[in-house]
This record gives sequence, C-alpha cells and structure tokens, in this order.
Amino acid sequence: MEISRRGFIQGTLAAAGGVSAFGFDIVPVFAQSRTLKIARTSETRSTCPYCSVSCGVIIHTLGDKAKNAVPQVVHVEGDPDHPINRGTLCPKGASLEQDILNERRLTKPQVRRPGSDRWEDIGWDQAIDEIGRWVKKTRDATFVEKDARGRTVNRCEGIAWTGGCTDTNEFNYLVVKTMRSLGVCYLENQARL
Amino acid sequence: MGDEWAGRVARAERLSAQGDAASPLLAFYTLVLRWQADASASLRRSSLSGAIDRDLPSIRPVVPALLSTVAQHGPALLAAEAARLSDSSTTTLEQTLLTWWDAPSDRQFFPKAILQPYAAALAAAQIAPARRDASIRADGRCPFCAGAPQLSMLTAAGGGDGGGRQLLCATCLTAWPYRRIRCAHCGEEDERKLSYFHSPAFDHLRVDACDACARYLKTVDLTRLGLAVPLVDEVAAATLDVWARERGYEKIELNLVGL
Repeated sequence: MEISRRGFIQGTLAAAGGVSAFGFDIVPVFAQSRTLKIARTSETRSTCPYCSVSCGVIIHTLGDKAKNAVPQVVHVEGDPDHPINRGTLCPKGASLEQDILNERRLTKPQVRRPGSDRWEDIGWDQAIDEIGRWVKKTRDATFVEKDARGRTVNRCEGIAWTGGCTDTNEFNYLVVKTMRSLGVCYLENQARL
Repeated sequence: MGDEWAGRVARAERLSAQGDAASPLLAFYTLVLRWQADASASLRRSSLSGAIDRDLPSIRPVVPALLSTVAQHGPALLAAEAARLSDSSTTTLEQTLLTWWDAPSDRQFFPKAILQPYAAALAAAQIAPARRDASIRADGRCPFCAGAPQLSMLTAAGGGDGGGRQLLCATCLTAWPYRRIRCAHCGEEDERKLSYFHSPAFDHLRVDACDACARYLKTVDLTRLGLAVPLVDEVAAATLDVWARERGYEKIELNLVGL
C-alpha cells in the first residue's frame, strides 16, 4: 500500500495528536512548524572584564550542543538581575561581543623590526626567545642603580609596558610583579581609558 | 484595565487577519477576548469582595454569552462542553468555577476563560483573592493569586540595556519580575540545562526550555517588538508550541486554545 505525503503527515499528526487540548485543528501550525529554522541558544552569566566595577553580563551562545558543532557567541547584554549594573553596560561593555568575535583580533605574536614599516608573524617559541634576549640586553644597558644624588633607585628606564583593556586580573597581577622585579617604571594599562 | 482588554482584542483582530497558520486559532481567541473585555467592564461596575462564592452573582450573568459564542464558533469538543454547561443548572456551573478556583487546571477551558477577567479585576483593585491557598504559593507562582505563569516577557523597564524578565500570571494576568536564567517551573538555574529556541519567523518570541524538568514556556521579547501584546502574540506563535511539543517539552501552562 502506498502512503501519500498528505496521508503520511496526517498519520503523523494523529499519532502526535493533530488537535490541541481543546480540540482545535492544528494541522496548519504543524505544517508550518516543519518549515521553521530554529536555533538553540544558551545564556551564560559572566562578568565584564574591562574594569573593577565588575558588571554582570549574559552571553548568548548559539549551538545545539552537538559534538561536531562549534558554539558561537551571538550576543552579549547586561544582566538585568545583577545587583551592580541591573542590565546596563557602558559603551565598552556593550561591545563585548566584538571583543570575542573580531576578525582583527590577533591570535599569534607579531614583531616590527627596527626600520621596518610592517608587522610580521613569528612563532611563540621565537617570540619568547627574542623577548628574553632583548629584555636582558636592554635592562643590562639601561639599568639605573643609583640616581644623581647617590640614592638607590634600581630602575630600568629602557623598557616600557602597556597593557590592554581586556587583560584579566590574574594576567595584570603577573605583569606588575614581573615589571616591578625588572625595575620597570613606565608601566601603564589602557583599562582606565 | 479596560484599555488593556481593548488592546488585546485589537491585536488579536490584527494578527488573525494576517491569514497565517494560526489565524483560525486567533479568530476564536478574538471572540473570547471580546467576551472577556465585556465581562471585565461588567465586573468593574460590581462590588467585588475577593471571596469567589460571594462574587459569583456578579460573574454568573455574563457567562451565557460566552457559552453561546463557543457553542457557535468553537471546536466540537468545546461546543459540546458549552452545550452541556448551558443545559446544566446554575449550581453545576458555580460548582465548576469554585472547583477550578481552588485547584486550577489549564485543561479546563471554561473556568479559566470565565475567571480570568474576575481575577484580573481583583488584581487591578488590589482585592486579595480568598481561597487561593498560600500553600500553593511557591517559586514561579503569581505573588497575587498563586497562579501558574502563562508566559514570560522581556522588557527594557528600568532603562537597562538587557531585557528584564517578567512572568505573566495565567489566572489574574499580573506580571511579576523573575530571574532571567531560571526555569519558571522547577527553579533550575544550571545554565547547561536551560536554553531558548528562536526562529526568524517569530522574531520577538522564543521558547524557553528546561532540560531538567522538560517544561517550557514562551517568552515575548518586548525589546524587539514593543507593539506586541504578550497574551495575544503568545497564541499567534502556536507553531512554536507544536515544535516544542514534538521535541518532548511540555508547556508549563496551556493557553486558551489548548496549546
């Protein structure tokens, strides 16, 4: 016996209960449901990384949790239930999605050589080696142990450090400890801008 | 409050005229809303006490109009029920309403449709409803009448960028604030068990589902469409109910078209 497409749908509906609890015919809405493109999104609470106010955010991540699917952030908004910000975000916080998804985001180390007009990609091992070598060389060359009046200052005037506004607290802690131990005084962070 | 009912009727008329899959459901719901608007106007002229057994004389006179409308325009199941209630004694109708008031069920169309305007009138006048036992008050229940939520809404109230969430009571239509990431049925807050489903075809609606209890309710996002009337738009998105049911989710509270 051949079952027509209509018969198949009707049979399926009968099995699923082709009427609502109050007896309404839901065949048309059932048919429409078959045409819907529906995406599953999860909401995750998090904390804005930009400044010490620590506003609450909700991150919307698209993905059906399948193992072969890569979850993708599609929206970030202020958490309306968070006691600090009550759903509001500053312009920087409101742009968090672009911080996560940004084709201009650097994903590997780059270097601009003396006299060069462009940045070139280098490997992590090479970057660590070169940074270590230049830090040692520069510090040795520019370290100031005592100032002009003979006072001990132990500072390194040949190196400066600037941090980015998305650096984490933990990263910044390590930066301060490392730079202070080197004697670096020119230590700045963009977070306060 | 009268404006609210008029707004619901107007929205239902507009959406049902669009001729999409849910139009027949909306056409019927429009008739119910019109009756509820009339009933609400009638109740506003009454002196309600909050004790339903004492308020029944104010409700009873408007009921035959609903029974007649449903008998004429409703599906066979409801039409038969309307005929049965029409032929039954006043005591039977009152007993049906009283029983539902004490133990509400979304599977009973008539008591819910009839008592929605009554409960809404009590809420608008801030007259505490008697016999809505405090024992059924719980998380996810209406703080005024302990009713289950019909839907949730996201609003920009308070000037926040993010949408604050409110639940809308299925009985008295009171809206109350509720946490964004929390199941309105079981209170689950594990983000891995909560998710929402969204289709571009219903841009300002979504299905908020919980994998812990396999329940869902629809959310009307008023930050996306401020013109939406949650109670009506929820019915208009009947397709999402069918979709969710097929995925094994059960609705927290069926609406007045049984979805």
